[in-house]
Amino acid sequence: MARKISWLTGGLMMALLILFTFSIWGADRPIGASTYVPYFAGLLFGLDPEQYEYMREIEKAGAWEGVMLLGAFLGGLFMSVFVTKTFRFSVLPSLWKERKNRSVASRLFWSFVSGFIMIVGARLAGGCTSGHFLSGASQIAVSGLIFGGIVMVTLLVTGRLFYKKRGAQDV
Amino acid sequence: MFDELLQRFMHMFEVVAAEGHGSVWMVLFIGFVFGAIIQWSRVDKFEKIAGFAMLEDMTVPKMLFFAIGFASIFLYVFIEIGLAHYHVKPIMLGGLVIGAILFGVAMAIFGKCPGTGPISVAEGRIDVLVGAIGGIFGGLFFTWAYPWLKPIMGPDYGKLTLPQFFEGQEHLVVLIYGLALIAVAFVIPDIEYLDPEDHEKKAEL
Repeated sequence: MARKISWLTGGLMMALLILFTFSIWGADRPIGASTYVPYFAGLLFGLDPEQYEYMREIEKAGAWEGVMLLGAFLGGLFMSVFVTKTFRFSVLPSLWKERKNRSVASRLFWSFVSGFIMIVGARLAGGCTSGHFLSGASQIAVSGLIFGGIVMVTLLVTGRLFYKKRGAQDV
Repeated sequence: MFDELLQRFMHMFEVVAAEGHGSVWMVLFIGFVFGAIIQWSRVDKFEKIAGFAMLEDMTVPKMLFFAIGFASIFLYVFIEIGLAHYHVKPIMLGGLVIGAILFGVAMAIFGKCPGTGPISVAEGRIDVLVGAIGGIFGGLFFTWAYPWLKPIMGPDYGKLTLPQFFEGQEHLVVLIYGLALIAVAFVIPDIEYLDPEDHEKKAEL
């Protein structure tokens, strides 16, 4: 089996999965993937839904996405071990080493901080790349288009400001 | 304490089983395929998402635009013939704008999104695991601060879709939108960062 698929094959497969998930044969529901994070936080820390309004609001969506992401983890594990054969423990991504620095502490610090900000942002916006892009923009929802447009801009601006210019060597 | 945690975890499956949005096995299957596609096309990697932010890799926008364009046309057909339903999110303008700004910044630095994160952890990325723990604390913070954050998330402009603004021309709007996105996917330059540590080769179309 091919070790890697192209953007076109990947995009086509993803479109078919979106359609299947939306359809009455699948889940009659959009794909989403950020509500499970506060849901898991609730599970881990035993947050009482009586006390936290948000826990009550996300009980159903959080559980659905929790199970789906559990499946996604297994799918990723299966593929990385048996098909793409890319499974290995690592801390520093190649491109980070090239364009940012070679410090493990720096990468872990920024991972933690950006992971934190990402979930706060996704929950403020009411969705993420899956909910607003894949599912929202496929329905041509105005909310998804606003989210998509702003994310594309801030992503590119941050990429320009946060990383070094191409070819600049770090010492 | 561990018993309680296990109980809450098992309750998650009970909620899904009772929900009517696919059986637990169906939801696991959808997730498995989602993870498999993302891992196979390698878009769970830092080099693909942060690489797009640095304009070093265009796999993500090409795949995303194509998937959305293709899905939109058929999704409207599905909805029309009763095989699917709308699930449109409301336009909560304040939350949408502030949230999207934070999300875009974090996505460029982390090189992941909430969907690709767990898949990246599954290929052994320790930095992503640390980011996921950061995410859990982000979720904890949001849950705690929700009563105070709620007022800034509005005003709610409702669950609107673009075709609704073009009465009588809905079909044409969907078709143009879908085909335009597919065209954009092909027009975006095919730049790919090949990770030397993965001994990557370009995939054949």
